[in-house]
Amino acid sequence: MEPKSKVTIPPGLLYIADNIKIKQNILGTSSELKAEWAKNLNLRKKSETIFFAGCGYQYTAGVESLMSLIRKMDKSLLGSELPMTLAGIQRKSGLDITNLYSKLTVKNKYAEGEVLIDAVKVLRNLGIDFGYLGDEEPCCGGLLHYAGMEQDFINNSNKLYDKFKSLGVKRIISIVPSCTYTLKNLITQHIRSSKIEVLHFSEVVLKNIQSVTLQFPRKVKVTYHDPCQLSRYLHLIDEPRRIIKAIKNVEFVETNWTNREWSTCCGGGAGFEAVFPELSEILAVNRAKELCDTGAEIIVTNCPGCLMQIKNGLKKLKNDTVKVLDLAQLISMAMESK
Amino acid sequence: MSTFLDYKKEIMDAAHDEKIRVALSRAIKSYRANVMSAIAQFPHTIELAKEVKTIKESAISRMQQLIEIACNSIEANKGKAYIAKTGEEANKIIASIVGKGKLVVKAKSVTGEEIGLREYLEKQGNDVYETDLGEFIIQKLKSKPMHILAPAVHVPKEDVAKLLSKLTGKKIPPDNIDNMVTTARELLREKFFKADVGISGANVIAADTGTLFLIENEGNIRLATSAPPVHIALIGMEKVVSNLGEAFKVAEVTWRYANYTMPTYVSMISGPSKTGDIEKVITYGAHGPKEFHVIFLDGGRIELAKHPILCQALYCLRCGGCLYECPVFSVTAGHFGDKYFAGIGAVWAAMLSDNREKGAALAYTCLTCGRCKVRCPMNIDTPEMVVELRRLLTQS
Repeated sequence: MEPKSKVTIPPGLLYIADNIKIKQNILGTSSELKAEWAKNLNLRKKSETIFFAGCGYQYTAGVESLMSLIRKMDKSLLGSELPMTLAGIQRKSGLDITNLYSKLTVKNKYAEGEVLIDAVKVLRNLGIDFGYLGDEEPCCGGLLHYAGMEQDFINNSNKLYDKFKSLGVKRIISIVPSCTYTLKNLITQHIRSSKIEVLHFSEVVLKNIQSVTLQFPRKVKVTYHDPCQLSRYLHLIDEPRRIIKAIKNVEFVETNWTNREWSTCCGGGAGFEAVFPELSEILAVNRAKELCDTGAEIIVTNCPGCLMQIKNGLKKLKNDTVKVLDLAQLISMAMESK
Repeated sequence: MSTFLDYKKEIMDAAHDEKIRVALSRAIKSYRANVMSAIAQFPHTIELAKEVKTIKESAISRMQQLIEIACNSIEANKGKAYIAKTGEEANKIIASIVGKGKLVVKAKSVTGEEIGLREYLEKQGNDVYETDLGEFIIQKLKSKPMHILAPAVHVPKEDVAKLLSKLTGKKIPPDNIDNMVTTARELLREKFFKADVGISGANVIAADTGTLFLIENEGNIRLATSAPPVHIALIGMEKVVSNLGEAFKVAEVTWRYANYTMPTYVSMISGPSKTGDIEKVITYGAHGPKEFHVIFLDGGRIELAKHPILCQALYCLRCGGCLYECPVFSVTAGHFGDKYFAGIGAVWAAMLSDNREKGAALAYTCLTCGRCKVRCPMNIDTPEMVVELRRLLTQS
């Protein structure tokens, strides 16, 4: 029952999909730039267990500025031509415009990949041995699947699996929820013979957490936002909570009703934010409100998309007292303080 | 792309409409509280829902066969059964039964909405009254339903008072909901008894006995299906299950997840009204309708049932629970939809209403967050369907 006529994919998604296909990352930036966060960490490439960094955290500042650009132009153009134009300029000029744009606009110039640096530190402190593929890390391609471009996704999956196999990868510690689900559940639907074990960062941390003492520098009220892909897709609901609760000085509070598998989506997902940037912002504000209603001083989450959305939601609410941290950052802070 | 841009503008206007947001946030809060207490009071519902899922899976896999059995049962009960391949065909069949210049009272029917039944009958010169209060409000406001169970979920009471004041010429105070309900009752009461035809849908139908189950609280379905001399029921084929016992189970799960412990009325209708009280001679048309017509609508359902992923859309019980869990729906209401709403509505628009552009626009509006699936008593995987639909629509 294949439908007769073809319908076009919204341009915002096509833009990102093209970046994945051509440059193996969502922003269309160079692969050297992609691994820059890790340049001082001395992570070796060759290892049976690798840390899979994914796109989202590596380009936090880049994605944030791209999104604010998309939002601004969406309001004037209703988003029809913008991503196409962006892609056109990018390809013709060879300029890395998103990177350029982020350098110009990121005010509190925090480093790209700061969450990843913390995640590596946390894993090392827990005594876990792993490598990192650096500029050879492929894009999981999940977005191709969610955009509806299944054949492209299958092609990407095959390339990615061959790469893993040729590098002798046997185990992956993945940190972005969406990449984790793609590597663990989607790719394996096409490559059934895959024996690569895929674990999420929170699973690995929880398994090894007894070896360290975790204490936050001061008494603090913390709530947790479940990323959709982690809670409803991967069913990793207790893991992050048990980690947070293991940290001394932390009082853990839940949102009313909208927690665990009932958690409200941050408003970003499957490229939604690129197609409906303004609506996505409204949903981010709604979720930020629910989280603030807990009275927490820190909102912890576990996904670069959620991190960006909730931060933006708080900004729109003009709330500068509540902080948003990634789970890796919270653990890292709790490791430092003892 | 213009369809997409028009649609995008529509949902953005809705997202900035404070009225929708206020009405929806109240509705969501009350739905969650009610469904939680209904299930707490009848905790077997959760296991029953799992059983109903297997009932639906099996029924959809042999839908055509069950429809044939249902048709035979209805005919054996002296009703008339019809199969309509398309919405257009269903409209024509119903119009030919109704005729022209007739007074028609209608119960709420999402399937009727799907094929534009009311508008079709009106065009034939009939006077059609929606009798569900929410649907009546929508009809008189010339608006469109924004939720499958609560069509006027987006209309605040002040607007209802204004509308009823206009219709009656009397001043209806904006804070007296009791008064509004009484006014609507008075406006519609005589229509039920003067009507030539009553039209309804059905929540589920048992093939072995030909019995329609109709779940409601207002009592308008009871009146519309029993007072007029003719009863016509328009039913999507996916509503069929094999027997009466299964139909009871489907019905109970439907109303429980629609947040009711027990609805006020559940009507079971299997044929025309009859009596044997005079010399045991069976005579049709006692106090209820003399004629009973059931139209089963295919409208793409038979094809949809064959698709390994999208067939899940046919398991839907129309409890409406998923809509209250959708973050996009909570700010846009039914603007994120076509005839059916939200992510599952995308499948309906593309596959049953054959509106691919709209289906794609809706499919890309779904966050694929999956909270609807957690709520769904049938555990329908809407994110999976939406991604498959994106693939089907864009890659073929």
